[in-house]
Amino acid sequence: MSAALSITSLSKAFAGVRAIDDLSFEVPEGKAVALIGPNGAGKTTVFNLVSGVYPVDQGVILVKGVDVTNMPSRKRISTGVARSFQNIRLMAHLSVLENLLVGQHVRNASLWSLLTPYRLAPNHRWKREALKALAESGLDGYAYDTVGALPYGVRKRIDLVRATLAGASVLMLDEPAAGLNPTETNALREDLRALKSRGLTLLVVEHDMQFVESVCENVVVLNFGQKIAEGPLSVVRQDRLVREAYLGAEEET
Amino acid sequence: MVSQQIVNGLMLGSIYMLVAVAFTLAIGVLNFLNFSIPGLFMLGGMAAYGGVKMGLHWSLAFAGALALAGLVSLAVERLAYRPMRGGDPEVPLVSSLGFLVLLENLMLIRFGSDQQAFPALLADTNLRVGGLVIGMAQLASLALSIALVIWLSWFLSATNTGRRVRTVAESGETAVLLGIDMSSLVPRLFIGSALLAATAGILFAVNYQQVSPFMGEGVGFKGVAAMIVGGMGSIWGAVLGGLLIGMVEVLSISLIGSNVVNITVYGLLLLILILRPQGLMGRPPSREKL
Amino acid sequence: MSGYLTGVLVTLSFNVIAAYAVYLPMAAGQLNLGIAGFMAIGAYLGAFLTNELSWPIWAAVPVSAGLAGTVGLLIGLPVLRTHGIYLAMATFALGQVISATFLNLEVVGGAAGYPVAAYAPPAVVFAAAAGVFLFMVLLSTTRFALYLTAVKSDATVADLLGISVRGIQVAAFTLGAVVAGFGGALYGHHYSFIEAQHFNVMLSVFPVLYVLFGGTQTVLGPLVGALFFTLAPEWLRASAEWRYALFAMFIILFMAARPQGLVTTSMFRLLGRRKAQAPA
Repeated sequence: MSAALSITSLSKAFAGVRAIDDLSFEVPEGKAVALIGPNGAGKTTVFNLVSGVYPVDQGVILVKGVDVTNMPSRKRISTGVARSFQNIRLMAHLSVLENLLVGQHVRNASLWSLLTPYRLAPNHRWKREALKALAESGLDGYAYDTVGALPYGVRKRIDLVRATLAGASVLMLDEPAAGLNPTETNALREDLRALKSRGLTLLVVEHDMQFVESVCENVVVLNFGQKIAEGPLSVVRQDRLVREAYLGAEEET
Repeated sequence: MVSQQIVNGLMLGSIYMLVAVAFTLAIGVLNFLNFSIPGLFMLGGMAAYGGVKMGLHWSLAFAGALALAGLVSLAVERLAYRPMRGGDPEVPLVSSLGFLVLLENLMLIRFGSDQQAFPALLADTNLRVGGLVIGMAQLASLALSIALVIWLSWFLSATNTGRRVRTVAESGETAVLLGIDMSSLVPRLFIGSALLAATAGILFAVNYQQVSPFMGEGVGFKGVAAMIVGGMGSIWGAVLGGLLIGMVEVLSISLIGSNVVNITVYGLLLLILILRPQGLMGRPPSREKL
Repeated sequence: MSGYLTGVLVTLSFNVIAAYAVYLPMAAGQLNLGIAGFMAIGAYLGAFLTNELSWPIWAAVPVSAGLAGTVGLLIGLPVLRTHGIYLAMATFALGQVISATFLNLEVVGGAAGYPVAAYAPPAVVFAAAAGVFLFMVLLSTTRFALYLTAVKSDATVADLLGISVRGIQVAAFTLGAVVAGFGGALYGHHYSFIEAQHFNVMLSVFPVLYVLFGGTQTVLGPLVGALFFTLAPEWLRASAEWRYALFAMFIILFMAARPQGLVTTSMFRLLGRRKAQAPA
């Protein structure tokens, strides 16, 4: 099986309104796919269905061949799929390091790990691992800061580091570049390329088309919860439906 | 005799009902579990007692007690609620408990810890209806409680201020967007809630002819129970809850004994919280959005 | 040690234990207003075991704590489906129901109270409080403590990161009940008499005050809060009549000025950073 994430005939309605309508697509192992479309097209809903925030009405979701469609949300991360959040959901009162330690949970879920007094060890491997991940993104200077006090761009990138520390092989990133300045966007691009070179699979919701083009091989275009096009961005751009639904709307605003 | 007990339960319930409405205004609109309300209830009763004791006419004593409760409630808003908006919800709860302890101890210093006899205002004029004995004071306070609640319900649905209050209850953010002046509305809510609690305290004093610095605790906590049983934030829920709790209390005393009151009343509350947390007349909480 | 000082230190020890019973669930975002109920379970069962079954204190106290925890677990499972104020009220109701149940339980004296024959001297009480404190400090260095805060601050994300939110919540609630039961069992054996009326609302509420005053962000907060609340009224003893009124005024003004409590993580974090930046 070559698809890291496979979605088949997925449907979800809220109060009778179809948010996702018979959606099918795949993200091949080790590739990056962008999920694009106008606001309200259902991109974040796809993430919420895959991560289990909402129950699925119809369809099947496979992560690396494992059916997660009806799996409790808490268990899904252990199948290898992790996500970031559009409106950064870090624990504001905890330090950066502590947030990352929380992110490691799924790989350290035994009762023994839960009750190990790791803070008594000045250099515990959990801390070393988190600090190393921070250093790889050049963020190690923030390790002991309280998250709530940090600038937006930094928090955004820490959210990404936390998702990677779950040891996931499929990462879903919800608007990772939104609100970042050009320097931060470049740093993020490097982060994502590094993840891909380590063999991770990415599914990205993003509005910045330049960013999408530089990171993702393929795009899936959503409109009103339906897939209207799929393929390399350069090809999809020429699609009439896409121009009408999405790029057209973009030019107007 | 059970029908007499039902009448007594209704009377007690009407006191709980007013306290429950006072709580529900604070919690339904401001999301603040205001534990100074039992203190304001006690203040109503004790200050009225103090006034009458000083030789004031009862109407002046009552008015003075209400005014005092309103003023204290403004201090609660200023010191317990306002500094902590948006913080952890437990913190204003603690400060408001601080007010309860403060009020109790101030009254303790002034009047001592003993029960005081509240003079009978309406000399023993009892109404006898088919074997039932109904005190005039009881009847008057039941009528007054119900009139107050009906008026409040009308006020919230029919006046501009009332509509503003309901907007704030729906969503504080929307209210600010609509340009509702929270800094004048919130203190008025605190005064309203205090007046209800103090009125209940005065009615309690008149009905049961006794006051003490700690009279607020038992009644106040049952008022909270009544509010939750009925459904937080719903005025008619508070009415239903208040009457129900009053009834359960009086019936369990007369059928089983006074030591079981806390088991039946709070057992009912616990049961409701487990089976139907939103209360008998409340709406279920909405789902969080990611 | 003078009798007065011993008396104050014993009170302090019980207050510290009560504060940590409240602290654990509160760190996970649960306001437990019924801690007195669990203390009552510990106190009555402990006294029953030593009085009627002639158990030694050292066996009766832990077993009573365990039973308080079991009750906490069984009741916590349905009650912890509620959140926020609903949960606070459910624990409040629970505390009332439990102490009223003992009021009606004739086996343990009912309304007349229950004398306890076996005696735990002050030294045992001090050691127990120190033990609870050390246990809490040790617990605060584990992932479990970290997850308490994580669950409190964002339960949805904690769940998506694979943490069993419900498991953590139930564990915190249960452990809080164990600590409360432990304190209660010891209380009965030290003061040689228990009555249901002692386990009232205020007994539940005061430890909450200690914890919020000391601050919930660090493991030291409850200790500092309990210290302050025990010792300050002693200093105010000169004005015996006014001391609680003055004290209440102080709490109100303090919480208005510093809602996060006395001891916060940022204090420690500053220290931690300095340590981290010092040349290795």
